Amino acid sequence: MIEAKNVSKSFDGFSALDNISCVIPDGCIYGLVGTNGAGKSTLLRLLTGVYRQDSGEVLYDGLQVYENPIVKKDIAYVPDELYFLPGANMNRMARLYSSVHPGFDNDRFIQLAEDLRLDRKKNIATFSKGMKRQAAIILALACKPKYMFFDETFDGLDPVMRNIIKAIICQDVEERKAVAVITSHSLRELEDTCDQLALLHRGGLVLESDITKLKTNLFKIQTAFLDEYDRNRFEGTDILHFSKRGSVSNIIVRGDKSDIIEHFNALHPVILDILPLTLEEVFTYEVEALGYDFSAIFEREVE
Amino acid sequence: MFQIDIISRTPVYEQLVRQTEKFILLGILKAGDKLPSVRQLSAELSVNPNTIQKAFTELDRRGIIFSVKGRGNVVSDKALKALEVSRRSEFSEIKDKIKDFALAGISRDELHKYIDEIYDEMGEQK
Repeated sequence: MIEAKNVSKSFDGFSALDNISCVIPDGCIYGLVGTNGAGKSTLLRLLTGVYRQDSGEVLYDGLQVYENPIVKKDIAYVPDELYFLPGANMNRMARLYSSVHPGFDNDRFIQLAEDLRLDRKKNIATFSKGMKRQAAIILALACKPKYMFFDETFDGLDPVMRNIIKAIICQDVEERKAVAVITSHSLRELEDTCDQLALLHRGGLVLESDITKLKTNLFKIQTAFLDEYDRNRFEGTDILHFSKRGSVSNIIVRGDKSDIIEHFNALHPVILDILPLTLEEVFTYEVEALGYDFSAIFEREVE
Repeated sequence: MFQIDIISRTPVYEQLVRQTEKFILLGILKAGDKLPSVRQLSAELSVNPNTIQKAFTELDRRGIIFSVKGRGNVVSDKALKALEVSRRSEFSEIKDKIKDFALAGISRDELHKYIDEIYDEMGEQK
């Protein structure tokens, strides 16, 4: 189990992360999403003990991670910008990894490279961007880590490869109660893979929740009335977003589905359609409520 | 105004057509009312303008809207008539369902009664 307790980090007076707390249980695939510059990568570097936090604690089953080899031997981290030794092939990298990770499983490394049809003797510098990612993932998985961190790792893979890698990670999580923390912008992807999701914005944790729960308390409603009305008609409901054109409104509401339906039906609308939100829409409306809203760009163009 | 369900298997243009028709049937859009422009809808819904144009072209073909140079797309005064005709041609869509009810032992009278109830309910609203 990974626990971050009131973790803060700033760089030259710029507060990158402010008082973040989260718990990542064993056997969990944890999705980390956020706006550009929200602090996702910084959080990963703190969780993996690459950075030292200014305040707060990062604990693995109660042990500090920073400069602690006992904890770090169980961690594999595939960063956003990959590093390979100059001119090295995968075999050379495997030797480096096995010297650092006592659990490095050379058979698994060879098997995975064969499965993904990567040439272990070829200079990695000659690999394509996606193949470099694959190489880094294989090396990380061969360490048989208890804790895996992937920083936008899947965004550069083709759909076939993405599914294969995801399946391998899911197996590890299932068999060894491993933990995977994944940042991505492809919410559609996280939707099927992760069981927990955290949303970061401007260095703060906006929400941390079960994926299924996230998707079941926000709804997209289309409604219309024949008489004149405005947002005030829906007083008593938790509205995140309201837009109206003519007599038709599109509303994003938070709450229990049956309560919402009951509340709206009592107003006798001519139309009432309720749809659950996709994760991408949840993300959009949650950060919009925090001022991350760029709709003005379109209004300016359309007018 | 429009609500797109991106998970749905119904194509986006079809959803737009269906919703426009529904707005007209319910009196939310009336003859002579202007529809939002392709540009506006495209920006609002983040949908390819060609998809929106496809929906408008389809509505035009069905005689539900027509485009006026410089004014955009307008609801036709023959829209309701056109919708009546097109809905009538969709009777067959409930055929399988009715057969299914009949096979399950639901009587003709029972179904008639249910249909009457729905019509009565709608009569009250109007």
